[in-house]
Amino acid sequence: MEPSLATYLALSGILFTIGAVGVIFKRNALGMFMCIELMLNAVNLTFVAFSRYYADVTAQLFVFMVMSVAAAEAAVGLGIIIAFFRNRLSIDTDDASILKN
Amino acid sequence: MGIFLFQLSNPNTNVSIILPEVIVAVAGIVVMLYDTFFPKQRTVTGIISIVGLVLSAVVLLMMWSDGASAASAWGGMIANDNLRLSFSLVFLLVTAMTILISTVWIEREDVPIGEYHSLLLFATVGMMFMASGNDLVILFLGLETSSLATYVMAGLRRTDLRSNESAMKYFILGSFASAFLLYGMALIYGATGTTNVSEIAARVADPNFPALLLVGGAMLIIGFGFKVATVPFHVWTPDVYEGAPTPVTAFMASGPKTAAFASFVRVFVLGFPLVAGASASGYLHESWINALTIMAMLTMTVGNIAAIVQNNVKRMLAYSSIAHAGYALVGFVGAGMATTVEKRDAAIASVAFYMLTYAITNLGAFAVINLLAQKNDRRTEFEDYNGIGFKTPVLAFSLSLFMLSLLGLPLTAGFMGKVLVFRPALEAGNTMLTLLVIVALVNTAISAYYYLRLIVVMFFRERTDEWIAPRIPAALAVVLVITVLGVFYFGILSDNVIEKFSHSPGATIRAER
Repeated sequence: MEPSLATYLALSGILFTIGAVGVIFKRNALGMFMCIELMLNAVNLTFVAFSRYYADVTAQLFVFMVMSVAAAEAAVGLGIIIAFFRNRLSIDTDDASILKN
Repeated sequence: MGIFLFQLSNPNTNVSIILPEVIVAVAGIVVMLYDTFFPKQRTVTGIISIVGLVLSAVVLLMMWSDGASAASAWGGMIANDNLRLSFSLVFLLVTAMTILISTVWIEREDVPIGEYHSLLLFATVGMMFMASGNDLVILFLGLETSSLATYVMAGLRRTDLRSNESAMKYFILGSFASAFLLYGMALIYGATGTTNVSEIAARVADPNFPALLLVGGAMLIIGFGFKVATVPFHVWTPDVYEGAPTPVTAFMASGPKTAAFASFVRVFVLGFPLVAGASASGYLHESWINALTIMAMLTMTVGNIAAIVQNNVKRMLAYSSIAHAGYALVGFVGAGMATTVEKRDAAIASVAFYMLTYAITNLGAFAVINLLAQKNDRRTEFEDYNGIGFKTPVLAFSLSLFMLSLLGLPLTAGFMGKVLVFRPALEAGNTMLTLLVIVALVNTAISAYYYLRLIVVMFFRERTDEWIAPRIPAALAVVLVITVLGVFYFGILSDNVIEKFSHSPGATIRAER
């Protein structure tokens, strides 16, 4: 039996929630970044599911855009995390605490 | 299935309509290439960038006066209306000013200049697409183009811990917000079956999945709320603004924030209108109006109250920028409640005008702060401003003027901006919106405390240590002249601008597909 639209939406909702909770509770910058990627992929799943439901290619194209943006984001993000690591020798976000009241 | 083939075989490409964006993008690429072959040239890349921005602005103005230009192109993906044109002009102004402001900082800190200028230009392209995109895909791409460039700029001082920290916080929270925004877009697409904003507007009355429409709208509010820094999604703002290099802070507070407002207005006011007699669109409209009204109240109050207790001027301006996002939201909600197309366009124009006045005032203030900050942005505490008033009268008086304009004193740009954004909300005649305007007025009074405090500190405190007034470089003098004149011009002769902002070039606003 082929899974229905609701199944895909539920799965992507669960993946998105796991990602969002991960970003909030993780203390490691790389881990947070991976959770964000998980959220983006959950969105991609939603798009593809709807694309199939509507038999419309727009969403498939949207997914390509999201994937390329995610790649660019990874390049920039890892660069920023490395710059932080070089100065701090840590990627723990609790160490990012100079700028506070 | 035949529809796909028709769409694929009939591409509607109209390069002339995105010419302003293309010019800025080409200028960015030229700057990048120039920097590769002739590195360490401090002025040339700046001049190329400014020329590109001015050319783009000229083309934009020509498109505005040319009534014949199409109202939309690229299969409805690009809209050419007053929202796009007015906001794009603000971005071009912001970027040009930022380039001039950063000359001081570039000399002081030895920044990789070519990279910085090309990043600024690419960020501007992204922002312009955020204003012109009439399709969720374009809005998303524009947002990411501008955000990615801004993340890098925030961390441009690679050896400085505060800059690193600022970039990392901005990056993590910015991407987190983008993910929410994207999920919202996916759900809106799921509910309506289209990503085109005009099409969405046509289908909200009868969506395929009404519940998804509401959830998607909520997700979009979270995503955009992060980008424009509204309470409760504002926590990243003070840290990021304080840690980033001062010219970049000036850019972030006036550029990407305004761009996020442009997309926010486009999606909510134009994409989720109230369709009479349709319950689904009624729910959606009522919920987003209510949510944004409450967010606006919280944003103004929290921003202003937190700004009072700050001791760092950049941090104070970060909270003030949160508060100003709240004031702009008042006009936004007013636009959402507008009953006629003319009123709606006037309200949208008032939001654009508000962001213009805020941008010009803020850029002026940051120009002065940047000059006074010295190396590594060390001198940005309130006590560093003790008694400098009469030692450097030009800087101190212009900074005072900018503070008064941020406060909204009559005859300054800030006053006209506030009057214009409050008007559509009052005209709606709704109890909640009237209450919103009252809250905004009370907040303006609260904000007087911290804006005036800076003036008092500058002019009436004693300075104990030796302090030498910095020389004002030519580029900064130009910025000060433009911003001071701008503050008075927009404060006294705002009618011309607002008149221009509220009229679309084409006869129709709705994009035809």
